[in-house]
Amino acid sequence: MTRRLLVLLGTLGVMLASAGVAGQAEIELTDFQGALSAIPVAAEARVLAALDRALRQEGFPASDVQRLFERLLTVPAAAADKEAVILTLVAGLEEGIPVDGLLNKAFEGLARGVSLRSLDQLLRQRLRILIEVRDLLYAKGIFRASAGASTSLGTSALPAARFDAMLSQLGDAVGDYLESGGSPHDGHRIYQNVEARLTMLRGSVLAPADVDLVLQRITPEDLTRVVLAALN
Amino acid sequence: MNTDPLEMLLRDTLREDAASASGRLNGLEQRIVAELGDRAPRLGWVEALRQLVAPTRAARLGQVAVVAATAAAFLIVGAIVGKDLPLVGGHPKAESRETMLRSAAENELLFVLPALNAENVSVVGSFNDWEPSPLSDEDGDGIWTARVSVPPGRYEYAFVIDGRWWGQDPLADEYVRSFGEYSSVRYVGGGGDGV
Repeated sequence: MTRRLLVLLGTLGVMLASAGVAGQAEIELTDFQGALSAIPVAAEARVLAALDRALRQEGFPASDVQRLFERLLTVPAAAADKEAVILTLVAGLEEGIPVDGLLNKAFEGLARGVSLRSLDQLLRQRLRILIEVRDLLYAKGIFRASAGASTSLGTSALPAARFDAMLSQLGDAVGDYLESGGSPHDGHRIYQNVEARLTMLRGSVLAPADVDLVLQRITPEDLTRVVLAALN
Repeated sequence: MNTDPLEMLLRDTLREDAASASGRLNGLEQRIVAELGDRAPRLGWVEALRQLVAPTRAARLGQVAVVAATAAAFLIVGAIVGKDLPLVGGHPKAESRETMLRSAAENELLFVLPALNAENVSVVGSFNDWEPSPLSDEDGDGIWTARVSVPPGRYEYAFVIDGRWWGQDPLADEYVRSFGEYSSVRYVGGGGDGV
């Protein structure tokens, strides 16, 4: 009797554990529709199209985006202001920009009770910086390797996850510098901030070879141009 | 000698405040260090077993079977995936605050905040989508702590002390400003040739 009970409970345990491992169900497009309809979002079709593409990409933080939509629902603000925040995020997705940093700032702004207009303004500036930094990397011959491409393309074609991690950290470092009151004309100071950030993350979030590559190829003057272009 | 009644009242009040607080501030650093060391084994084995077991033998056996099966399943999955399971080791008595923070920095964020008269302390940050995670002060000595397991990376955070945000943790690696307010930053891992 005891043995049978043990076997039964053991099987149950394995099933529960398996369910727990497999329990992180994939988020689907329909999971976003509820929140979007409840806000409501006028450009729902555009938002869903961007999300549909993003969901098929590796590393897309779907659960964070879903949480953001749900949190926006609870904010006492005009639907148009909520939609503006969502559309800024969508613009990032459409550009193929990693949105982790934007999501973090959105969550922080909401937690601090910042008005959605101020939040959107900051997110737009961050997005412009990310786009300019991405274009700078391209101009310096550092690309995102397309899916399935061989690594023999050379050190300048980084796997997508590594390219996105680098772009995200570079953009965040420049954004943090500006929001902390740094001068957009002080390229050396911007470079120092970027260098410090990349060095701290070397070997953990960023591949050492990628850090070396980027720090060798970008200059303080490049970063000044990036910042001024983003601010304009 | 000034005998203005208002000044005398202020002086007496300040003297009383200083006298009442002096006892609590004495040896504050040693108490923080001791706090960090003492709290390492959060739950004793005896207490953990007491919480684990149920009153009846059958239920007890059942629970043990479930736990064993779950552990086996996770080990199998871990072996298949080929990744090491994150291990949080026990923390011996710290020689210094820095030593303790360095040992904690391998895979977790350790938050320590002296807030002598606070009733509620939590931490918000990029590791929890800026949703409050509570700090605890189990012995009521005014030193609040929390440990959060995180993957390597850069984490922004701020403390919320009785509803008020405070983003300048003295133990932070750096500070940033967003929305006109400070946040603290800590780096976990890094500085090597991994990835």
